[in-house]
Amino acid sequence: MNITIAIFFVIGIIALVGALGVVASRNVVYSALFLLLSLIMVAGLYILLYADFLAIVQILIYGGAIVIVIFFALMLTRTREMPLRLDNPKKPWAIVASLAAFALLATTTALTHWKILVTTPERVSYQVLGRTLFTQWAVPFEIASILLLVALVGAIVIARPGGRE
Amino acid sequence: MIPLEYFLILSAALFCIGLYGVLARRNAVLILMSIELMLNAVNINLVAFSSRLAPSEFLGQIFAIFVITVAAAEVGLALAIVIRLYRNRTSVNVDEIDIMKW
Amino acid sequence: MPSINLPGMEWAWLIPGLSLLAFAIIVFLGKRLPGKGSYVAITAIGLGFILFWFVLKDLLYSRPATFNVTWFDVSKYSLKWGMIIDPLSVLMLGVVTSVAFAIQVYSLGYMKGDPRFGWYFAVQALFAASMLGLVLADNFLLLYITWELVGICSYLLIGFWYERRSAAEAAKKAFVTTRLGDVGLLIGILILFKQLGTFDMSTIFQAAQRGDISAGILTLVAILIFLGAMGKSAQFPLHVWLPDAMEGPTPVSALIHAATMVAAGVYLVARSFPLFEVAPYALDVVAIIGLLTTLIGSTLALVMTDLKRIIAYSTISKLGFMMLALGSGGYAAAMLYLMTHAFFKALLFLGAGSVIHSTGKQDIREMGGLWRKMPVTAVTFIVAAIALAGLPPLSGFFSKDEALIAIRDAQSPVVYLLALVAVFLSALYVARPAFVVFFGRLKPENAHAHESPPVMTVPMMALAFMSIISGFFVFNWVGPLFGLPAQFKGFGAFLFLEHPEAFHFDVMLAVYSTLIAIAALGLGWTIYHKGLISPASIMERFAGVHRVLVNKFYMDDFYQAIINRVVLAFSNLVALFDRRVVNDTGVNGTANLTAFAGYRLRYHETGKFYDYALAIALGTTLIVIVAFLVT
Repeated sequence: MNITIAIFFVIGIIALVGALGVVASRNVVYSALFLLLSLIMVAGLYILLYADFLAIVQILIYGGAIVIVIFFALMLTRTREMPLRLDNPKKPWAIVASLAAFALLATTTALTHWKILVTTPERVSYQVLGRTLFTQWAVPFEIASILLLVALVGAIVIARPGGRE
Repeated sequence: MIPLEYFLILSAALFCIGLYGVLARRNAVLILMSIELMLNAVNINLVAFSSRLAPSEFLGQIFAIFVITVAAAEVGLALAIVIRLYRNRTSVNVDEIDIMKW
Repeated sequence: MPSINLPGMEWAWLIPGLSLLAFAIIVFLGKRLPGKGSYVAITAIGLGFILFWFVLKDLLYSRPATFNVTWFDVSKYSLKWGMIIDPLSVLMLGVVTSVAFAIQVYSLGYMKGDPRFGWYFAVQALFAASMLGLVLADNFLLLYITWELVGICSYLLIGFWYERRSAAEAAKKAFVTTRLGDVGLLIGILILFKQLGTFDMSTIFQAAQRGDISAGILTLVAILIFLGAMGKSAQFPLHVWLPDAMEGPTPVSALIHAATMVAAGVYLVARSFPLFEVAPYALDVVAIIGLLTTLIGSTLALVMTDLKRIIAYSTISKLGFMMLALGSGGYAAAMLYLMTHAFFKALLFLGAGSVIHSTGKQDIREMGGLWRKMPVTAVTFIVAAIALAGLPPLSGFFSKDEALIAIRDAQSPVVYLLALVAVFLSALYVARPAFVVFFGRLKPENAHAHESPPVMTVPMMALAFMSIISGFFVFNWVGPLFGLPAQFKGFGAFLFLEHPEAFHFDVMLAVYSTLIAIAALGLGWTIYHKGLISPASIMERFAGVHRVLVNKFYMDDFYQAIINRVVLAFSNLVALFDRRVVNDTGVNGTANLTAFAGYRLRYHETGKFYDYALAIALGTTLIVIVAFLVT
């Protein structure tokens, strides 16, 4: 067992623990913190996959933006209802469904014979990635920016006070 | 080199934990967090496949970037809806929002 | 010399096509056209008549042919629109276009001022189109379609004055009665299709002549086809609709119920003659039904008092006579009779229409001495009557003698004798309206009667001309007279290109058939004109017979009883089934089940987010597992 695989296991286990914390914690703020932990571990996985740019994006957007927004949302929607019940009555079924899905995915992964074409993975340079994104993928990129704009406007319109309350 | 299957199993586990969160939680914000977990699992898959099967084209990375973009937009909108919901009903529990039926 | 530029046989489809176009134009634009579109219909049929001559000329200088286009293909079968151009269909083209043209012109005067004037001409055009399509059809499917189209036109025109209850009832009766025969025709056609996989006539006839169909099935098919002909041509026992059909306008009776549509049955049997020839017993059935029909028709024509009904029963008797001739193998004779009958019977109806138009009455007992008031009508009517009676040299004489020769050669002496009786009776029954209506004393209430306008009398004169001369077509010198190729000598040779049938002329038969006709006319003269023998005293002497005849052999009552007892009882049963099983169980039951299911199932739509999400997750997993296991 070489060192990269050991690192992979460490990162992966932390990510899974974080994920379990998100779905099992009895405190919503702890959940959010666990989410942050898990997402940063995923960034580590990206580095193990030689996707440095993506790792940076992951930390910036997920760690820096999305989790913060989620914190705000949690703050603004504090309920005073006590005791706090975070799980719904269909929890046993949820366990069944997720275990079934995992069994299916794991079986499929194990049974499939993967044709690995690469023996030595290579790093994609930022320059090449950026050039490709702005030439070959320029149109989807612009559409994505329009999508963000629309989401921005929509979020403002929906969350704005006023209107029919 | 880490085998592809490791990433796939990890991503499957992450995905299913997220799925469990979506199914079992009743707080809308917690459900959104679980959805983020699922999206990340998908991204891991995309990048892993790309890196192991065709690294020179890095299509998976490009895809992951777009997925992250869409996820950001989705979170922004969804949280706006949650806030609006809270203001109207002083609750963000999805099982209390059930008037859109027969 | 036929030029390439002249329209020929391949243009024949235009003849019905023009009338169909006229129908469409009148229906859609009729209200804005001058004369409500009547001129469109007349132009269309007139052009058709002109085209007929080109087709005839082309046929005389070339060989019979068929033209068709594929309508659609169903696996290995292909359905076609097609037309057959041979002497038989061209003869019918000529008869239908000429008579229809004359009668449509006549209708301009007769129907003047009718509130549905435009609609009348629209249906006339549709009728002409369907009838011409019927005679041109080269396959049984197209024939059946047009067959039903002429049926619906007949229905519409009989019930043209549908405000009158009797007209609506008569239309219904005609439609339902002919439908009985049509079902037989359809079954026959379908049996042929099942046997041979085609509707095409010439293929079917060749197969039948070769013996590809077993004799039993062939006889069945021939009799089923004849059943269709019986309905259309008002043969016993389906003749009951034709007298009632006189509720329609008189030109309609002349065109549809005397000259063309009712002759379609005769045409159908003649067209399918190759089938009847090889089918054992089928021709005997045709002959027997024809004989019964002609006797029933001619006896009933003697006692009717309604002018149009007298002529209607005369039509029945003459159609029976044609069938008898066909059943005796007198193919050419029957077709000749069909042609001459179309002219003189249409003329009789037009004359009757002229009288009715002028006096407003239909009962011959209220008429008399009208020849002074309407000389043209009187002369043409008498010409038609003499043609019908069969005096030489008018057309009826030749057609009747041809038919009698065929009957004498093929049938037993008893049948022949009865046919001669029918000849006698027909001269007698036509003498009655001729003498009673036009001679004798003019009744004062008819003093205002006047001759009809030229638009009506000119077509009558044209038909009178044809009634006089159309018999001469039988002679072998007719063809050479017009410079036609050698094989077209006369009528029989024209119809039978392969086996020319020369004109038979039996002097003895001609003499005594003429004597019979003269005797009948003379008897009619003594009874109905001179009054030497009082009709009333005959009535008293044979009161029983007279009662049976006036009640039309009680056939209408018999049918009514069957309808009341059997049909209505069965209908009630069906209605009960419909109400209980179809409505309550089938329709309402399904609706109730759906409503109940919805009522119970809607509580499973909780509206809760996690129920839906769970369903999606489990469902997707399940689908993937199933797909995984299947592949």
